[in-house]
Amino acid sequence: MILQFLLAMTATASFAVLFGVPKDQFFFSSLTGALGWIGYLLFCEYGAGTAMASLMATFLLTVLSRFFAAFRKNPVTLYLLTGIFTLVPGAGIYYTSYYFIMNDMGRFTAKGIETFQIAGAISIGIIFGFSIPQKLFQFRRRVKASS
Amino acid sequence: MSHQKKASDAHASSPCSDCRSKEILTLAVEIGDALLRSGGEIYRVEDTLFHILDAYGLAHFDVYVLSNGIFASVDEPDACSLSMIRHVPLGDVHLGKIAALNQLSREICAHAISLDAAWARLRDCQALSLPDAWMQGLSCGIGCACFCSIFGGSVLDAFCTLVPGIFLQYMRLSHQAKNVSKFMTNIVGSAFLTAASLLLLHLNLPIHPDKIVIGGIVPLLPGIALTTSIRNLFNGDYLSGAIHLLDALLTAMCIAVGVGFVIIFYQHIKGGAFLP
Repeated sequence: MILQFLLAMTATASFAVLFGVPKDQFFFSSLTGALGWIGYLLFCEYGAGTAMASLMATFLLTVLSRFFAAFRKNPVTLYLLTGIFTLVPGAGIYYTSYYFIMNDMGRFTAKGIETFQIAGAISIGIIFGFSIPQKLFQFRRRVKASS
Repeated sequence: MSHQKKASDAHASSPCSDCRSKEILTLAVEIGDALLRSGGEIYRVEDTLFHILDAYGLAHFDVYVLSNGIFASVDEPDACSLSMIRHVPLGDVHLGKIAALNQLSREICAHAISLDAAWARLRDCQALSLPDAWMQGLSCGIGCACFCSIFGGSVLDAFCTLVPGIFLQYMRLSHQAKNVSKFMTNIVGSAFLTAASLLLLHLNLPIHPDKIVIGGIVPLLPGIALTTSIRNLFNGDYLSGAIHLLDALLTAMCIAVGVGFVIIFYQHIKGGAFLP
């Protein structure tokens, strides 16, 4: 699990380089991505399906991004866009295409539906994450500053 | 590129000398353009434009932003009325620019910065560039290798993803320089990765080609388009959300086509199925 965490962190950090994230924010954006991925693994382990785990992990990712954004006074985009890559269903796209080519229509349909479910779950996770009022995050920052 | 040059010329000469609102509007639209170009959400761009125009004392203005265009007009009672339309093609995501521009607009809103200083700062922000090509290539390769590994690939798989990942980024950069369509880049990129993984499999290495491809296509995935689309939809900008959603769907389809094409081709050569 620790290895997964470190790998996810490196992966997100190298994508942060690609998208030109400022150097002082590297740590936070890679931390968001890694925590999102670990969240996904944990939700999977405790019996959530891939779609449900994606939803929960995206929600976690969005909330963390917003928290860091308020805490570091930067746009949310900085953390959210780099972190989301661990959760986007790339494997789904590959297997859907693969089973289609192999003429395995049963598995093609199953994978295709799963891919769309994950994409939908990510959307819902983001929407839930942004539904939390901004005030809550500002309150948290004040607590952090005073302690 | 040409229209941007025109805008800065207009700023330098300023034909209508008592027309301060023109300079303010140009500044605001330039900032909005830079934000939108680097991948900012519609809500952020609109909000920034509103606040800048407001901070410099304009009261009668309106702004409408789409994911590839900005429309802004100012109609002050004591000055000439102005409007500006800007076409902004979907460009490269540069989050550092967004952060810098966000900081600039924060300072403008706090009235901490004069109009001339704001122009100078905007030029600085626009001059921010992405890291060098070799740095981008290397980080893309490392990223692909790590993604391959966390999605279940072995250590050997990760090493095998590293090199195609580096080439992939170089290919994307050269396509960008030659203005190749994004669809083509995605199809050729995913096809290249699949071909590379199958070639390695053919060398009798104990690898999992599916994991290599899954790790390698991560930089092509429409994660940013999907996220931006959902955020735009959530903020009520349905048209811009739909544009990005379509972009995400088409990108995913292009990746699938690239992968599928190479697998079909491989089957024809080898004359049989291979295990995923």
